[in-house]
Amino acid sequence: MSNSEPHKSSNAAHGPITSPGKLPEEIESVAEDEQAHEHHGGIMQYMAVFVALCFLTTMSFLTYSSYWPWRDEPQVGWAFMMAVSCTKALLVVLFFMHVLWEANWKYVLTIPAAMMAIFLTIMLIPDIGLRNRMVAQERALHMARGSDVLLLEKAASADSSDEVEKHEHE
Amino acid sequence: MNASAAIGHESHGHHGPVLQYQPGLPLSRGKLIMWLFLSTEIMFFAALLGSYVVLRFGAAVWPKPHHVHLSEPIGAFNTFVLICSSVTVVLALEAARANKRSLAKAWMLITLILGSLFLGVKAYEYSSKFDHGIYPWAPRGRIYERPDLYYGSAVRARLSDPAILAKLKELDGRPENELSDAEITGRRRLKQVRDMVNNPDQQAFDLAVVADQIMPLPGEGADSHDHGGGLNDTFAWLQLPAVIPGGNMWASTYFFLTGFHAIHVIVGLIVFSILLLYELGPKAAGMIENAGLYWHFVDLVWIFLFPLLYLF
Repeated sequence: MSNSEPHKSSNAAHGPITSPGKLPEEIESVAEDEQAHEHHGGIMQYMAVFVALCFLTTMSFLTYSSYWPWRDEPQVGWAFMMAVSCTKALLVVLFFMHVLWEANWKYVLTIPAAMMAIFLTIMLIPDIGLRNRMVAQERALHMARGSDVLLLEKAASADSSDEVEKHEHE
Repeated sequence: MNASAAIGHESHGHHGPVLQYQPGLPLSRGKLIMWLFLSTEIMFFAALLGSYVVLRFGAAVWPKPHHVHLSEPIGAFNTFVLICSSVTVVLALEAARANKRSLAKAWMLITLILGSLFLGVKAYEYSSKFDHGIYPWAPRGRIYERPDLYYGSAVRARLSDPAILAKLKELDGRPENELSDAEITGRRRLKQVRDMVNNPDQQAFDLAVVADQIMPLPGEGADSHDHGGGLNDTFAWLQLPAVIPGGNMWASTYFFLTGFHAIHVIVGLIVFSILLLYELGPKAAGMIENAGLYWHFVDLVWIFLFPLLYLF
């Protein structure tokens, strides 16, 4: 580079010598062309993913139907709904966002982000998740409780029984 | 950026190495930048969703969807709309790559319309919350956590407001044949509420009855029409404070999460509107792909938001 001919040294300030005809912009468009020519799956595949997404969305309501056997354990329902959401998300990311066909940089992107998301949620549990384990009296005076919900439900049923009595007397 | 040097063969008789630029990563600059931006967005929404999960499951009481006028079918419809718009964006990209410019433009327009439909449904949902006094924060928000003395005094304060007093007087003066059935019952219950709230010997249960009259929280499987919807529904001008245990935290997180998501949807729609001004041929495929990546991400966030907010 530095031992090249005199007229070349004026170009030294512009960076390394490129080989003729291969400008960075042209490399760009070649990369895009390569992607464009790879017809991964095509439209029918996208349609199949769409149908799967619609089906999964309907499935997320399965916990509301009378056939759902775990009505007494809501945690099962929550786990099921999260599994459905994760599957839907995976389908969108892999197929619509084309990540299935991308190179290994996708792992560099997704794995630390996933770790961070899970870690952040876990990190918040001691201070925020368990905030009602030990409450100050001031807070206890004003916070909502399960007993308030029961009281309101009792008031609701008392009201409807009043209504029934009124209709009976009329 | 993106450049690593490779020593190539000289062809012009220079004595130094000839370097060739090659992409460091097998993707274009625009796509790389979009993915870097999306990773920041992932961090943003992961923080929001993670903290929502912790807040919700750590709460002593959390309102049920029908307590806060949240409709699961509307949420499901919104999910369906966004999924369809993701498909149409992908179809626009395929059409652009195949040099079918007007088809690409048509799919892009449909994506824009579907995104606007999502926003319209969201606006309708927000308006139904506002109608019931559920706002992100006070003073417009009229949610109280417990039917206690503080709630009772808030109801009393509202009922003593001069404008409300004038309307109450006018309501009491109207003969029965001018009012609907709901209004007649409502007027009677309103008198009951006023008496209970002004009674110096009121019991804790009285305030629960007052709360139930103003805005009932139906139990599991109960028909909300038993109560006629409550006084706040019968008289839209009344706007009395309501008791929704856990409602304030719910309102805060709901509006925060869906509000930020809606802002992202608006940004996506602006991007699509700008893209519609371009010729959507193979040269624009890169732009469409990047805009599509952003839009798919917005859809992704909603896929997680929908069950967490509506179904849990």
